[in-house]
Amino acid sequence: MEILTNGVGLSAVVFFPLVSALVITLIPKSQEFLIKGFALVSSIITFVFSALLLLEFDFSSADKLQLGNKISWIKSINANYEIGIDGISLPLLVLSTFITVLAIIYSIEHLPEPKSPKGFLALILVLETGMNGTFVALDLILFFVFFEIVLLPMYFMIGIWGDRTVRTVAGFKNQIETRLYASIKFFVFTLFGSAFMLLGFLGLYYRGNKTFSIPELIELGSAGAFTGTFATLVFAVLFLGFAVKVPMWPLHTWLPDAHTAAPTVGSVLLAAILLKLGSYGFVRIAIPILPEQAKAWAPAIAILSAIGIIYGSLACLAQTDLKRLIAFSSVGHMGFVMLGIASLTPIGINAAMIGMVAHGVITGLLFFLSGSMAHTYHTRDMGRLGGNMKLLPKTGALLGFTAMASLGLPGLAGFWGEFMALLGAYNPLDGLNVTVFRTSMVAGAIGTVLTAGYLLWMLQRVNLGEPSEEWMDKELHDADAYELAAWIPLVILTILIGVFPKLIFGATNDAVIAMLSKAFGG
Amino acid sequence: MILDLILPRRSKYYVAAFALLGTLFSLAPLVVQWVNYTNPIYAFEDSFVVDKFSIIFKGLFILITYLTFLLSINFIESDKYYQGEYYYLLLSSLLGALIVSSSRDLLTIFIGIELASTPMFLLSGWKKGDRKSNEGAIKFFLLGVLSASLILYGFSLLYGLTGKIVFSEISTFIINGALQSSPVLLLSAILVISGLGFKISIVPFHSWAPDTYEGAPLPVTAYLSVSSKATGFVALIILLTKVFSSAGESWGVILAIIAGLTMTLGNLVALQQSNPVRLLAYSSIAQAGFILAPLAVAGITGNFQDGIFASVTYLIIYAFMNLGAFLSVQLFSNHAGSTNFYEWGGIAKKSPITGVLTTIFFFSLAGIPPLGGWFAKFVVFRSMLSTGEPIGLTLGIVGAVNAVIALVYYARISKVIWMDELKDVDSENSFQFESPLKVVGVFTVLITFISGIFPGIFSYLGEVSSIFFGN
Repeated sequence: MEILTNGVGLSAVVFFPLVSALVITLIPKSQEFLIKGFALVSSIITFVFSALLLLEFDFSSADKLQLGNKISWIKSINANYEIGIDGISLPLLVLSTFITVLAIIYSIEHLPEPKSPKGFLALILVLETGMNGTFVALDLILFFVFFEIVLLPMYFMIGIWGDRTVRTVAGFKNQIETRLYASIKFFVFTLFGSAFMLLGFLGLYYRGNKTFSIPELIELGSAGAFTGTFATLVFAVLFLGFAVKVPMWPLHTWLPDAHTAAPTVGSVLLAAILLKLGSYGFVRIAIPILPEQAKAWAPAIAILSAIGIIYGSLACLAQTDLKRLIAFSSVGHMGFVMLGIASLTPIGINAAMIGMVAHGVITGLLFFLSGSMAHTYHTRDMGRLGGNMKLLPKTGALLGFTAMASLGLPGLAGFWGEFMALLGAYNPLDGLNVTVFRTSMVAGAIGTVLTAGYLLWMLQRVNLGEPSEEWMDKELHDADAYELAAWIPLVILTILIGVFPKLIFGATNDAVIAMLSKAFGG
Repeated sequence: MILDLILPRRSKYYVAAFALLGTLFSLAPLVVQWVNYTNPIYAFEDSFVVDKFSIIFKGLFILITYLTFLLSINFIESDKYYQGEYYYLLLSSLLGALIVSSSRDLLTIFIGIELASTPMFLLSGWKKGDRKSNEGAIKFFLLGVLSASLILYGFSLLYGLTGKIVFSEISTFIINGALQSSPVLLLSAILVISGLGFKISIVPFHSWAPDTYEGAPLPVTAYLSVSSKATGFVALIILLTKVFSSAGESWGVILAIIAGLTMTLGNLVALQQSNPVRLLAYSSIAQAGFILAPLAVAGITGNFQDGIFASVTYLIIYAFMNLGAFLSVQLFSNHAGSTNFYEWGGIAKKSPITGVLTTIFFFSLAGIPPLGGWFAKFVVFRSMLSTGEPIGLTLGIVGAVNAVIALVYYARISKVIWMDELKDVDSENSFQFESPLKVVGVFTVLITFISGIFPGIFSYLGEVSSIFFGN
C-alpha cells in the first residue's frame, strides 16, 4: 500500500499517540471508562500501524532505510523532517508500540496514587510519540527533539505518581520524598547529556556541509570528513549524551533512583524503551558517522561496560529492595549491550540489538511483576517477602520464569545477547586492543555468574521458603486478568526470541553488516 | 505608512477599550507595509528608516503592548488606580520602542530609548502605598538616569570623533579615516554597551531588575521584562552593527565575557529565589545573556547575519513565552494570595488549565522540546559554534551548563504546583481566570507551541531581519 511506503504510515506511528493524548485531555475527567478505552484503542491502533509496516518492510534489503520520507521542516537551518526505518530500528520501533499497549492494559486496573487516569494515560501516549519518533528520525535535529520529548512525560510520571516514601538524601537539608528527588535527578542528568550532545550535532553540521541528515553525514563520515581533535571532541559529547541515557557506569546513578521511584508502568517503559534510546544512538549516529573515533574510544567503552556489568551485579547483591535490585540489574544488562557495541563486529552489534529487545521484554516483565507485588504486599523489602510461590502462585511462577530468562538461560531471550556479546568481545574488530577486550570478556563472564547468583538469591528470598507470619491472615490478591493480559505476551515473546533468535537477527543482521562495512571497510 | 500616534482620551471607562482597539489597529499599516515591501524607505535625511527589521519589531512591540493591556485590565480596575494615565504611559513607552526600531541617527535613537524607558519609571512605582514598589522605582529611576547619561556620553564621544550623527555617515567616516582601532571609538562602544546594559539588565548592570520587578504591578513587570528588554536589544543591535561593527573584535570579547557571566549569575541566583517574580527577574537576566551571546560572537567573527538571526529569533520567541510565564504567575499568586511559590503546593489541582499553562511556559523557558524555547536556545548555540572560534566554543559550553542549571528552578515551580500536597483543600476561594487573561493565555501558548514545532515561521522572521540588516 502506498500510504505505508511513502512515509505517511511511519508518521502515523509517531504522531497518532500524540493526537490521541490531545483528545484524551479534552474528555471530561468523570468519563473514566471512556478515557481508558480510548487510550487502549489508540495504543492498539498505533501497534497495528507498526505491525502493518512490519509486513510492508522489505526484509531482503533490510540494510536500506525504507518506508520513509523527507520534507522540508526548518528551512533556515536546513533541518528536515526526514524519517525512515531499517533493520536496526524496526525491532525497536515494534517493541516500543507493543510495550505501550501492555503498559496501558496494565494501567486500566492498576493506577498508582493519585489515580487520575486522564493525565497518566495522556503522558504515556506523549511518551510513546517521543520514543517512536527517536527510532524513526533520520535528521539530527528531529532526533534531538524526539529524544527530549520523552523527558517531560517521564518527569511527571515519576514526580506525580511515584513512590512517596520519605527518605534522607545527601545534599538535602530536609527529608524528601523519593519521587521528587528521583524525578528531578532523572531530568537533570539526561538534560546534561543531551545539551552537550546538541553541541556535538552542531559541530557535525558545520563540518559536514551544513546538513543534519544522518544518512548524508554517514556518507561524509565514512569518507573521512571528520578527523582530528574536532572529531574526538564531537564523539566525546555524543558519548556523554548517549551514555547517560544507557546508562553506562559511572553515569548510571540516576537510574536506580528513577526506577525505584517510578510507578510500575513508568519503570517498565523506562527499562524497556527509554534506555534503548541511548544504545540506539550509538549504533545509529555515533559509530557510523565517526567510525575512526568509535574505534579509538571502543576500548574505553568496553572497559566501562565491563565495570558496569560487575558493578551492577555486585550492587544487586547488596540490595534489600526488590525494585532497586532489578534497576541495578539493568545497569549490568545494558553493560552487555554496550560491550557488544564496543566490539564493533557484526556479531557484537547483533548481540546488542537482540540484547536490547530481550532486556526490554524481560526487564519490562520483571518491573511489572515487582510493581504488582509491591502493590499487593505494600513493601518491596525482600527481607519481609518470602514464600511468594505459596501466597501468589501465578505471580511467583512468572517471577521464577522471568528471573531465569534474565540470568541468560539458553532457550530464552536473555541468552543470545549475553553470549554473543562475549563472543564479540573475544574477537573484536581488527586493530582494537585484543587484551583489553578479552579482559572485558572475562569480566563479563564473571558478571554472568554473579547475575545468576543475585537472581537466584532473589528468588530464594522472595519466592521460596515459608511465608512469614505477617502475611498469613491478610487477603492477598494474585494476578488478575488485566495483569495476565499484560504479562503473558511478554512471556511468549521471551520464549519465541529465545528459540528463534532469527526473529530479530533476520531484521538486524544485514543492516548491521552494511553499517559496519561502510564504517570500517571490508 | 506613518506611525499612528494614539492618544487615549481620559474618559475613564472607555480608555481600556480604546487603547486595545488603537493598538490592534496600529498593526494594520504594518501589514500593508510588509505586503507592499520592496526596498527600505528612508525619511528625514536618512535618520529614519522603514525596513523589514523595523517592521518585524514594530509588530512585536505592538503585540506585546496589546497583551500587556489585556493583562492589565482587571489588575488596574481592581485596585482603583489612575487608569487613563496608566494606558497613556504604556503607549508613550510603545511609541519610544517604535522609534528605536526605525532610527538611524544618534539623536533619534536616544530620544526613542528615553521615550521608551521614562514612562516605565512612573509605572514601576504605580503601587504608591507599597514600600517595595517605591524602592524599586527609585532604584530604577536612578540607574535609568545614569544609563541615559552613559549613553549620551558615548554618543558625544562618537560625535566628537566623527562629527556626524547619521549612522551610515559615521561608519563610512570611521572606515575612511581608518579609525577602527581608535581607543575613543572603543570607549564610546563600551559606554553605549554599559548604558544599554541597564535597559537589558545584563551583569553587572542588572541589580535594579529584581527589586523593580518585584515592586511594580505584575503587568508592568511583564512589559519591563519583555518589551523594555527588547527595545534595549534592538537599540544595541542597531548601534553595534551600524556604527561599531568595524571595531567588532574588541567589543566582541567584552560582550562575550558579559554574556557568559550574565547567564551564569542570573541562573545561580535564580536557584535561590522563592518569590516567583524575583525568580523570573533573574531568569530574564540569564535569558538576556543568551540573547547577547550571538551578538558577541558576531562581533568577533564579523558574521553579523548569523548573530542577528539568532538574537532576533530568540527575542521573538522569548517575548511570548515570558509574557505567558508572567500570566501564570499572576493567576496563581492572585489565587494563593502569596508571593512565595513554595506555598503554592498542589495548586494546579484547583485549576488544571492554569497548571498546564504554567508548565508549558516554564519548560519552554528552560528550552525543552517541543516548546518554543528549545529552538531559541538552539539558534543561539548554532551561532556560537558557527566558526569554531574558541570564544564561541567556550560560550557554547557555558550555555549548555547553564541550560541544565536553569532547568532546576524552572522545573521547581511545576514540581510545587503539581507534586506537592494541596494545603487548603476546603478553601472556598474559587479560581479566577478572567477572559482578557484567557486571550493572553491562548495567544502565548499557541505561539510557544508553533514556534517549537514549526520553528520555520519564526526563524523566517529572524532570517529576514538578519538579511536586511546584514553588512
